[in-house]
Amino acid sequence: MSSVEYCGLSKSFGTVEVIRKLSLSVAEGEFAVLLGASGCGKTTLLRMTAGLETISEGDLLIGGRRMNDLHPRDRNIAMVFQNYALYPTMKVFDNIAFSLQINKMSPDAVRQRVEDAASILNLTEFLDRYPRELSGGQRQRVAMGRAMVRDAQLFLFDEPLSNLDAKLRAHMRVEIRQLHSRLGTTTIYVTHDQVEAMTMADKIVLMNAGRIEQVGVPDDLFDSPRTRFVADFIGTPSMNFVDGAIERDSGSLYFVAPGLRIPLAEQIAVNAAVTAGLRPTDLMIEDNGPLTGRVRLSEKTGADINLHIESECGAIIATVSRETQVGQGDTLRLGINPKKLHLFDHTRGLSLRNTRVA
Amino acid sequence: MTLSSQGIKRILTGDSALPWLAPLLAMLVVFTIYPLIYNIWLSFHEYAPFRRRLEPVGTDNWQALFSDERFWDSLSVTFTYFGVVLIIQVVLGMAIALLLDSEQKGFGVLRALLTLTLVIPPAITGMMFLLIEDPEFGVLTWLLESLGILDGTQPILATGSTALMGVMLADIWQWTPFMVLIFLAGLRSLPPEPYEAAMLDGASSWQTFRRITLPLMGKVIAVAVLIRGIDLFRIFDYMFVMTSGGPGTSTYTLSLYAWQQTFSFIKWGYGATISLVSLILILVIANLFIWVARVRW
Repeated sequence: MSSVEYCGLSKSFGTVEVIRKLSLSVAEGEFAVLLGASGCGKTTLLRMTAGLETISEGDLLIGGRRMNDLHPRDRNIAMVFQNYALYPTMKVFDNIAFSLQINKMSPDAVRQRVEDAASILNLTEFLDRYPRELSGGQRQRVAMGRAMVRDAQLFLFDEPLSNLDAKLRAHMRVEIRQLHSRLGTTTIYVTHDQVEAMTMADKIVLMNAGRIEQVGVPDDLFDSPRTRFVADFIGTPSMNFVDGAIERDSGSLYFVAPGLRIPLAEQIAVNAAVTAGLRPTDLMIEDNGPLTGRVRLSEKTGADINLHIESECGAIIATVSRETQVGQGDTLRLGINPKKLHLFDHTRGLSLRNTRVA
Repeated sequence: MTLSSQGIKRILTGDSALPWLAPLLAMLVVFTIYPLIYNIWLSFHEYAPFRRRLEPVGTDNWQALFSDERFWDSLSVTFTYFGVVLIIQVVLGMAIALLLDSEQKGFGVLRALLTLTLVIPPAITGMMFLLIEDPEFGVLTWLLESLGILDGTQPILATGSTALMGVMLADIWQWTPFMVLIFLAGLRSLPPEPYEAAMLDGASSWQTFRRITLPLMGKVIAVAVLIRGIDLFRIFDYMFVMTSGGPGTSTYTLSLYAWQQTFSFIKWGYGATISLVSLILILVIANLFIWVARVRW
């Protein structure tokens, strides 16, 4: 169990820089999730941690020790790959036991450990099978077993659930979390799925184009996104964005957009170009709400209804309870809780914090 | 009667595969099945030189085999040649393939160069090695004498104990690259993920080769061994060119012996019998091998 420290890490493939001067620390025993869209560099960062990619610039410290030039086999890291990377010619038992066998552990001890891991992962009856004879979920568990039996100082997961169906994914999320709380091993987990990140992480590292957009506990990223990118990325359906301006009117500040006028706190400077962010869940149907719109489409998710609304300030999605009686084509008014309003600098997308109305 | 273009079209677009297979079937019958049946028939006959015709001899040819010491000698030479050369070509081929399996600059050229030995006719290779191993001016003879391994009184190809090795050299030189090519094709199509996993599991290069590469390459190795094995079992050209089976019978293989009986001694029936034994052995060994080596995973 070790902490991980990235100090100004960069990675280039030829002239393409995929990671740019990235600094981050993951504390001992922490479950950190690298979250981001495809191509944001999260998997590259993970592979650099494992030693499967070289580091172009900067330092990687694991447990305080510089790892840049250490061969992967000497790093004592266990990794679960996206496609599981099981050894196709070995049975499940040997797949899990491989690292122990090559380290010359006694066969009895190996058997003991493998059987323990297998019973935790419900794999006991499959130990005598080849990977090709297993389902996706079972293979996934073998890959986890392979990581579990080792006394690795760090666990790396590279989108391990992306090949599983939704139900199994939810189940494996819980298993991985339980595994982490049982072993307490520092874990770095890569995913593009924000639900995975939100439900599993002690700390989310949201990446974009080779840089870190924001680091924080899941609630932080959801409640106080530091950039428009973060606000847009976290939350389903995505946050609604409305371009407008901040105006002063008889001593009070207002966010003003076509057909919309919301009172703000004093602290903020008057700004001609801002973007307001409204989460669909923070909009409610109110007879005297400030925003008028017409329902274009109503989407039932089971628990809620997502209303796609054509309003004066553009297309907006509002999530309302399933009991709401609203149909396609209906006109309605939406209320906005000013406390839940997020404001971003229009050009750079940075959050204009402290804008909440007191 | 000429076939109308309509008729041809109907035959070629019909459901039957026969029109398409017919040319190949004809070749197979003329060049493989008929000679095989004729060969079997021949093994129960023998050419009578004075009466100038083939006469039935029953199972005489087959019985003669068992008491023919030269047959057993040639069988033993064939098996020795087959075993030694095959093992060396597999091991050496794999070693070279592993060395050449690299993305670095220049390795593509090296891999292409490998095919060069394969385009030389084996008879020419035999001539080349005849010169290389010549007792007077052969470069190998000179090298081995300089190293004190040979003392100058034993020409490689004219000494009973070294002649077979001398012939093997030509085969190994010419056909190891074939193994390398097959192994390289296999190595380069292996998935990278198990290797990354093995690295993180802490496996050394040797452990990775033994536990990952070798099992993954099982089928490829089996195919290469099968192709080369069959070739080696019916080896003829190098001996024919380099030693004519000598000195004594030390390089007489089954094929060479069958050839000698048939064409030098005009014992067509007996020659046919020996070549049939060779065929039966190849069939048995190859099928045993396929059965045993079926890689299961």
